[in-house]
Amino acid sequence: MDEYIVELEKISKSFPGVKALDQVSFTLKSGEVLGLLGENGAGKSTLMKILSGVYTKDEGTMKILGKKVSHLSPVTAQRMGIATINQELHLCDHLTVAQNIFLGRELIAKGILSDKDMNAEARKILEKFEIEINPETLVGDLSVSKQQLVEIARALSIHAKILIMDEPTSALTSKEINNLFAIIKRLKAQGCGIVYISHRLEELQHIVDRVMILRDGKQITSMDFAATTLSEIISYMVGREITEKYPRVKEKVGKKIFEVKNLNAGRMVRDINLSLYEGEILGIAGLMGAGRTETTRAIFGADPKESGQIFIEGEEVKIQRPLDAIKAGLVLVPEDRAKNGLCTALSVRENIALPNLDIIASQWGVVNPKKENEIVEESVQNFDIKMAGVEARADSLSGGNQQKVIVSKWLARNSKVVMFDEPTRGIDVASKVEIYEIMNDLKRQGIGVLFVSSELPEILGISDRILVMADGKITKELDVKDATQDVILTSATKFEKKID
Amino acid sequence: MENKKKQGKLKRILAKRGMGQVITVTIGLVALVIVFALLNPYFLTGRNISNLLRQIAPTLLTGIGQSYVLITGNIDLSIGSVVGMSCMTSATLMTKGVNPWVAVIITYLACLLIGLLNGKLISKAKLPAFIATLGTMTIARGIAQIVNNNYNTDSIGEAAEGFMNFFYYGKTLGLFNTIWITIVIWLVFNFLLSRTRTGRHLYAVGSNMHAAHLSGVNISSTVTKAYLVSAFCSATVGLITTATSGMGTMDAGNGYELYAVAASVIGGVSTLGGQGILLGTVIGASVWGVLQNGLQFAGAPVAIRNIVIGVIVIITVLLDLVVRQNKKVGTGKVGTGKTTSIGLKHKA
Repeated sequence: MDEYIVELEKISKSFPGVKALDQVSFTLKSGEVLGLLGENGAGKSTLMKILSGVYTKDEGTMKILGKKVSHLSPVTAQRMGIATINQELHLCDHLTVAQNIFLGRELIAKGILSDKDMNAEARKILEKFEIEINPETLVGDLSVSKQQLVEIARALSIHAKILIMDEPTSALTSKEINNLFAIIKRLKAQGCGIVYISHRLEELQHIVDRVMILRDGKQITSMDFAATTLSEIISYMVGREITEKYPRVKEKVGKKIFEVKNLNAGRMVRDINLSLYEGEILGIAGLMGAGRTETTRAIFGADPKESGQIFIEGEEVKIQRPLDAIKAGLVLVPEDRAKNGLCTALSVRENIALPNLDIIASQWGVVNPKKENEIVEESVQNFDIKMAGVEARADSLSGGNQQKVIVSKWLARNSKVVMFDEPTRGIDVASKVEIYEIMNDLKRQGIGVLFVSSELPEILGISDRILVMADGKITKELDVKDATQDVILTSATKFEKKID
Repeated sequence: MENKKKQGKLKRILAKRGMGQVITVTIGLVALVIVFALLNPYFLTGRNISNLLRQIAPTLLTGIGQSYVLITGNIDLSIGSVVGMSCMTSATLMTKGVNPWVAVIITYLACLLIGLLNGKLISKAKLPAFIATLGTMTIARGIAQIVNNNYNTDSIGEAAEGFMNFFYYGKTLGLFNTIWITIVIWLVFNFLLSRTRTGRHLYAVGSNMHAAHLSGVNISSTVTKAYLVSAFCSATVGLITTATSGMGTMDAGNGYELYAVAASVIGGVSTLGGQGILLGTVIGASVWGVLQNGLQFAGAPVAIRNIVIGVIVIITVLLDLVVRQNKKVGTGKVGTGKTTSIGLKHKA
């Protein structure tokens, strides 16, 4: 099967102030998986939104399944067999799995909505692709990884000929990822063409036939995956050589700066004990659902706990809420940037100032604008934050820069321990390295660094010591020199009797 | 060099977030004033302007309170009832011989209690703001009725003359006292909102409660403060009402909460929270007041007035949405994962 099912030629698209795509040409063959790569802001999403009818192109021609297309809307695109699996899940929490799958094209029997038919059809699709979900469950009750599978099932049920997958594995367990790859292989055999967008470059080798790389809205190159290497791909994406993917620094390990004893907070945080020393980075590995985020939140005081003692520099600190932790110098860079880390509609300046208002304002609470500017400017300089000025909305920054804003706001005060939860998720390669350098810098200064990540290469690349969590407990503690992906994965899958 | 400095400062003021809508609406306000002046020259006389300003006062004051609450991402439906409660409480006490100023203090305390109740119900008991303030709205109105055994009060009498002059009839330096009171209250609350830590916390909570929480902000105390401010403003308007009519009426303030929303929204305060400045509320309240007053002098019958006002409010807000929509497209929004609705715990 070698015909072209998608041919986009010289596509350009501009938004006020920014040229998102500049004469980009794109082809997709039936039965092929194309990896669409590029840093955040390179134009991948924009290009795919034009293909799926969400945006209209300014210039260029489109041919889909051999037919020239001048106007495309989401509805007509869907009818032509183009389906998208989004990074931000577009599901309705209060409807069931089946209802979500058939949203917009509900099945009717004798003039009335037929949940019976929809449940049966949904069950068929889920079973066909070996997705273990009950179609009558409310989507809101499912874990994020299962929700992503529902989104995939929805695209599959449309019998799409062109499937666009945007970061489809970000929330999946490795078993589910393998299943997804099996699904993709079946679709390939059926003649489906798939566009695969992912920052997890190590995954590409399992699934991708060809790659196309965008940078700054322009098409850089397109080639067979077998004919290239990961480092070549990265250098095309970034435009320069990245020699050290995981910059590691060696520091002398000093005294104990942070200790957690007997932490219990519900089912996801059970009997947690850990210590952190000066000059080391403690990585916390595990699968989604292991309780790592819950643990950091419990330590930080964001969620209530049943028991637990926290010691900073040997002294016990009573933490009932985030403010207590912050005052003691213990801070958290949380997991979901847009949801928990930033006030997205407020400016960069206001975000950096927010937890530091006690320093910036007088005892009567009046904010000192001069002091505020000082702190904000310093933070921006220290972290080299790229943005359209400090008054820019926080959500107008790229993922990497947003993360830097969050880190910088904590480092404007004398923080002693910084906890990072999935700090490089959804961030491009170059910014990831910047974040690693920041963590190394903290390590050098003797500030405690604890970092939660689901990306094993990252954990192995940056941590000095590693804790593995599964099902709410710590299942293994080891030095990085004794750690391999296998050892970690084994400890990460030590579940007790599964309560589903 | 002097000029450049002045230009820089002006530019900074204009670039302040929220000013865009304020400027659009101010232009609209000026246009309205010109139109009404042309329709009826009496509109621009010193006497009418003076009255107009005094008429705007209640809308502006309740607007300030509602703006505070809207900025935190909530709403206060109890405003009108608290006005009524304040009016009846102060008037009843005064007719029973209580010293007017003591009555004023007691009235403020009682209304602040409603504000406290609102704050705690919403932030601690986690009731949706709409429901909680709907409840306190009915309670406050009920109190307004019970306080004088379900009757409007008698005249508050000559002993209250000082009180009536202070809040409504008197003039200082040529301007009605009511206007001065409004100016002072506006200055205080504007300072609080724009230049203090509490103000920042209010915007943060309305913008993203989760992020604010993880930045150490006390959500409960911040939200409660917003409702206390609102209750204070409503209480003040109630006292002005008592002073105006010289008695207490049980249905005083009916519907004020919605006019307060209108004034805020016209002025650029978003009902979604985290946005808007009190300068906008001033313009919003003025637009509202000018519309009411101007249409009256243009001879429009009451029914037409209401329709015209409603249409103009919708157009103003639509215009702002369109302008803001065009600015937003093109700012790269980075998706990091799904957005769950508030209340759903993070699922592993």
